[in-house]
Amino acid sequence: MDTVVVEGLRVSGLSYVLIFAVLGIFYGLIKLLLRILPPRDDSA
Amino acid sequence: MTDLLRGIVGMADWRVWAMFGVGLALIWLAVKKEYEPNLLLPMGFGCLLANIPFSSAVGGGFLDVLFKGGITNELFPILIFIGVGAMIDFGPLLQDPEMLFFGAAAQFGIFFTMMLALLVGRIPGVTGIPGLREAAAIGIIGAADGPTAIYVATRFAPGLLAPITVAAYSYMSLVPIIQPPIIRALTTREERMIHMENPEHEVSRTVKVIFPIAVTLIAGIIAPMSVALIGSLMFGNLLRESGVTERLSKTAQNELTSLVTILLGITIGSSMGGKQFLNPTTLLIIAMGLIAFVFDTAGGVLFAKLINLFRKRKINPMIGACGISAFPMSARVIQKMAQQEDGNNFIIMHAVGANVAGQIASIIAGGLILALVR
Repeated sequence: MDTVVVEGLRVSGLSYVLIFAVLGIFYGLIKLLLRILPPRDDSA
Repeated sequence: MTDLLRGIVGMADWRVWAMFGVGLALIWLAVKKEYEPNLLLPMGFGCLLANIPFSSAVGGGFLDVLFKGGITNELFPILIFIGVGAMIDFGPLLQDPEMLFFGAAAQFGIFFTMMLALLVGRIPGVTGIPGLREAAAIGIIGAADGPTAIYVATRFAPGLLAPITVAAYSYMSLVPIIQPPIIRALTTREERMIHMENPEHEVSRTVKVIFPIAVTLIAGIIAPMSVALIGSLMFGNLLRESGVTERLSKTAQNELTSLVTILLGITIGSSMGGKQFLNPTTLLIIAMGLIAFVFDTAGGVLFAKLINLFRKRKINPMIGACGISAFPMSARVIQKMAQQEDGNNFIIMHAVGANVAGQIASIIAGGLILALVR
């Protein structure tokens, strides 16, 4: 297969997986923030 | 006298007439159909200004100055993002963070279209998409997010900037037409009627203030190329959520956004010169932009259906389509569709959550593409 197409497949696949990974980190971050800073906290 | 006549003589070029038609069509879409009028109207007029033979607005004129000062250096999309950030309420997403994953899933169209563009560009006789950078710039139309598309296209394929921007904004305005048939094709009526409980807990102001700062730092450290995009979006959001910069927040939402949109629109329009715009590559880009939106929508919906296989409490799979970004149009479309099936079905909070997740995901996608494509 054309090397450019192979590179495209690699970049596409990796980027798509990484988006899930980064947003997964944000998911963990939000869960953590909600746990340590519950709604009653409005002191900011 | 010669100066006066050369404009009339220049009208002999068919491309001038064709581009007048394109410019007038954009103005018509803005005025009569109200499709993204704030952008399409300035773009249409910019197109007219640029295509008048021997126009003083281009060729060193004020539109060239704006192009160099706002597009080439990516300033305008960044400033727009500050305004967009100030407009976004991440509350629904913070209440229901699972929606983040729909934002990720609905970026599928970017990568599908990127590969498609790459393959089309390998077909003998097809010019204009010589490599991965151009294919990535076309794929990013699927971010359904104008500033990100402009930002990536400016870096990777400045020669394709005009058709990519026209496609991105046109299809964003056409989301109410593009998404419903795809969603109906991929879901059953029973699935579209699924009710979802609204999260009852509130989110503290502290969390809303920490969120934009933390996201900027995390995304920036993982993908430094995304700092300008995500940083400006989150800066705008911090202005909104801090509660102490109301004047700045309102300025970012209104005056800044309006001013930059005028300049951005007319400047992008001015890049639609007949010689560069009227070629088969433009038609390919317009077609592939639609494919990107279709596969974004399909990716989000199918991801929701996949998740439902493992969940007790089912998610309305239409929510997946909101991950496309195109904020807030997509969320409105999905809520309307839900109510068409069942007048008592209110999924707007989840839809908005997925929609703002799509906004974040599209920027991350842009940053990753900028970092990974060589």
